[in-house]
Amino acid sequence: MLSPRWRKMLRDASLHKARTALAIVAMVVGLAGAGALLASWALVQRVTAQTFLASRPVSATLRVERVDDALLARVRDLPAIAAVRARRVVFATADANGRRTRAQVFALSDWHASGIGRLLPDEGAWPPRDGEIVLERSSLEFSGAALGGTLRLSAGGNDAVALPVAGIVRDVSLPPGWMDHVVYAFATPATLARLRVPATFDEVQFVVRDALDRDAVRRVAVAAKASIEAAGGRVTGIDVPVPGEHAHAAQMDSLALTQGAFAVLTLVVCALLVVNLVAAMLAAQTREIGVMKVLGASPGDIAALYAGFALALGVAASLVALPLAVAIARPYAAMKLDMLNFPLGDTAIPAWALALQFAAGCLLPVAAAALPVARASRMRAADALRDAGIAADGGVVRRRFALPFVGRPLRLSIGNAFRRRARMVLTVLALAAGGAVYLGAANLASGVRASVAHLFAGHRYDASLRLVDDAEAARLEAAAATVPGVAGVQALAKARGVLRHADGLDGDAFALVGLPAESPLLALSVERGRGLGATDGNALVVSRRLLKNEPLIQLDAEVELQIDGKPTRWRVVGVVDAGPQALAYAPAAALDAARGGVLASTLLVKLASSEPAAQLDTILRLRAALDGAGFAVAGSEVMRETRRVFEDHLLMVVQFLGVMAWAMIAIGGIGLASTMSLGVLERTREIGVMRAIGASDRAIMTLVQAEGLVVCALAWLASLALSMPIGYALADAFGRVMFAVPMRAWPNADGAFAWAAMLGVVSIVACAWPARRAVRMPAARALGHA
Amino acid sequence: MPTPLITLENIGKTYPAPAGDFHALADIDLAIDRGDFVAVVGASGSGKSTLLNLLGGIDRATRGRIVVDGHDLGAASERALTAWRGRGVGIVFQFFQLLPTLTALENVMLPMDFARRGTSPARRDRALALLDRLGVADQADKLPQALSGGQQQRVAVARALANDPPLLLADEPTGNLDSRTAQSLLEGLAGLVRDGLTVVMVTHEPRAIAYATRSVSLADGRIVREERIDA
Repeated sequence: MLSPRWRKMLRDASLHKARTALAIVAMVVGLAGAGALLASWALVQRVTAQTFLASRPVSATLRVERVDDALLARVRDLPAIAAVRARRVVFATADANGRRTRAQVFALSDWHASGIGRLLPDEGAWPPRDGEIVLERSSLEFSGAALGGTLRLSAGGNDAVALPVAGIVRDVSLPPGWMDHVVYAFATPATLARLRVPATFDEVQFVVRDALDRDAVRRVAVAAKASIEAAGGRVTGIDVPVPGEHAHAAQMDSLALTQGAFAVLTLVVCALLVVNLVAAMLAAQTREIGVMKVLGASPGDIAALYAGFALALGVAASLVALPLAVAIARPYAAMKLDMLNFPLGDTAIPAWALALQFAAGCLLPVAAAALPVARASRMRAADALRDAGIAADGGVVRRRFALPFVGRPLRLSIGNAFRRRARMVLTVLALAAGGAVYLGAANLASGVRASVAHLFAGHRYDASLRLVDDAEAARLEAAAATVPGVAGVQALAKARGVLRHADGLDGDAFALVGLPAESPLLALSVERGRGLGATDGNALVVSRRLLKNEPLIQLDAEVELQIDGKPTRWRVVGVVDAGPQALAYAPAAALDAARGGVLASTLLVKLASSEPAAQLDTILRLRAALDGAGFAVAGSEVMRETRRVFEDHLLMVVQFLGVMAWAMIAIGGIGLASTMSLGVLERTREIGVMRAIGASDRAIMTLVQAEGLVVCALAWLASLALSMPIGYALADAFGRVMFAVPMRAWPNADGAFAWAAMLGVVSIVACAWPARRAVRMPAARALGHA
Repeated sequence: MPTPLITLENIGKTYPAPAGDFHALADIDLAIDRGDFVAVVGASGSGKSTLLNLLGGIDRATRGRIVVDGHDLGAASERALTAWRGRGVGIVFQFFQLLPTLTALENVMLPMDFARRGTSPARRDRALALLDRLGVADQADKLPQALSGGQQQRVAVARALANDPPLLLADEPTGNLDSRTAQSLLEGLAGLVRDGLTVVMVTHEPRAIAYATRSVSLADGRIVREERIDA
């Protein structure tokens, strides 16, 4: 049987059903959002650990002229190496039912190796048989092909060959094909021969025995290179990814961190709401607390009673929020895993994540209520019994607003808003936090768009075509310029550059672009230093990301680069912002000299029409013309589309922040409704007096609505101020992981006005019920209210 | 000579006020024996309720010493005072002060709950017995708002007696009751005194004084007259 004190708690809650329900709903929103993030993160972490690490990802790849069994055996014999395999990657063009896309075909020496880059068969045949291909799961839909259908592949400028799609496999080490716009396929060396490209392996991949850092893996790779070269082989490049980390891990970690931070902020907003509810309850029951103390209730008894109420709120909210969070977490985790190219597999949320959510949900309101409860429980009985209820009349504030254009009813509303100042401040803070995130996200969105516009400002071409093989630049430009619809062309040389470190180890490969002097289609917007001049020799303009990745590369520094395996020295003369890409620009003549020929691999094209359909038509005719002239085209990109995909990719984080802001605004709105309903309850007698002296329904309703608008106006101002540090923090976090975006010192006007309009709606909706309640209360009953 | 249940020695109570300190009580010396029914009378603002609050350990004296049933209230911590109040004294307020969301029965059970007295069924039985003794057992399951003023005050008395305290303090217990109900309540209190309870009642109603065994008159915070009332 429940003791009287707990029955009192339950009946108090049921007496204020609407307000208690509002607080629970607000907590459900906050807990479900935060819980979904936690559960999806836990699910992704588990799948990542189980799938990615279990796939034994490749530690390093060495590009070698030719790989045979003896060479593989030499590498396998090195003590630090656990597993080894040979591979060839062929760049091709795929065509399924008229849909042409870029493709990469992988041939492996061992399809069943479990110790290195394990592949997960999904459907159909595995491994690929001669004359068939197996597609990677993430590029199946993008390719336009289907299991059992055919895909036409052409590589090396040769005729396309129709190959049956015999199976589907998952390679968790690859980024999703749909995201990178590449069809990933697996084929045997015999199938490569049918495509008329070399069928031998030209890469050695291995897994090191122990979990090592990147430099340690590089040392093993150098040892493997030395071993290969001692046997007469030639190594032209080394790639060492960050050990144990997926290609998109940094972005996902940053996303998780940002999400976590905003989940915590959402919970803080919920906590503010609980503080308001419990503080209002304590204020209304001060005399009851005094009576209980007179009856022998200790501070602990009082604290337990109200902390128990807060706990009950948390338990009720958690019981609803937990299944909601799980329901949201599963599809959200599936989406994130899809972006990482992982199968979802086991969808059970880890028990620790559920337990943590439940505990946090239950304890959050208790922690939030701790201070007001502690204060009330320590109040002396005499003080509690003397409590006169709502005392502050906001008179000072009301007098300050005694201006000619501020009418008496509005002055009364302003004064009312300030009568419970602590409660008003918490309500304003809850609303302002949501608004600040909304404005911060809007700022970040405009910052991202401005940065993308800046990034693409120097790209004065409409499309770029990548060739299968390097070609003579002048011949390529001449062939392209004759195609109707082409307004201008520029052939570019691209090479792989690798920085040679002082300890003899190679850094990560990056793209080195040969840029003709005064290129009409590509202008560099230099941030520091200078651009490339007509008289420059071995000068480099590097991207900011390359500068970040390679600390040795500094403005005015002289560096040694390996280009196509040959060492050359270059001086860094400028820095450009190229977004998330690590690349460098060099004078075309200097790059040609370093490579030993005037060869181009990319063609930039300016089109006469700006119409998407006409542009596509011209690009298709250009590709056909170049194919006809002997320049095999591996792929083409329309810059408008590339820019859109790039922008969308970046704005995903911003969209998430927008969703968080909406959740927080909803919670803030519920907080306002709760505060207004408490205000109306506490002033029932005053409202009765106003009714008695002739105040109309409309006047009472206006009084309540105007008070809500005053609170919202303050929240708007506070959110403008709060959005600045939040905007800076967001831009900084975004810049660290993605690329630099301009930080705005002031919210953009459109966002601020939109937020003001939203607050207006929030205020009207939140005040509707309290205003109706105030109007519907009969004067006699209101006057009799204690 | 038996030891008095209550002893007040040179008691003073001062409240700070913007216009200067307000002396609510000054130089109060008083002894109350067990089984006394003391009526504290005086005009509004004479210090009656302040005196009652000091006796109940609700408020503390600014100077002097108060001993109730062997407990020095001035020396006790707030926690110790609370514990003592739970078992050592019952208090009846002018406006009843029943908790509005608890039934009459639950209101009476509440002090026993706070004092962890007996088992839950035992508390229920005792609460029902007290309500029966005060003639409101049939109202046990009603909320206070459904009871008349007299019924509420009877429930309040039952609540004050819940932990069987030796002392009952009543602050204008008949102030909100009609004359018939007030008379009935006063007879009830007198009956409790006959059973051995000590009652200190603040009142300004002459007819209430007739039920007391002793009266103490206050004016401007000082005792101006003390007299024993013959039955």
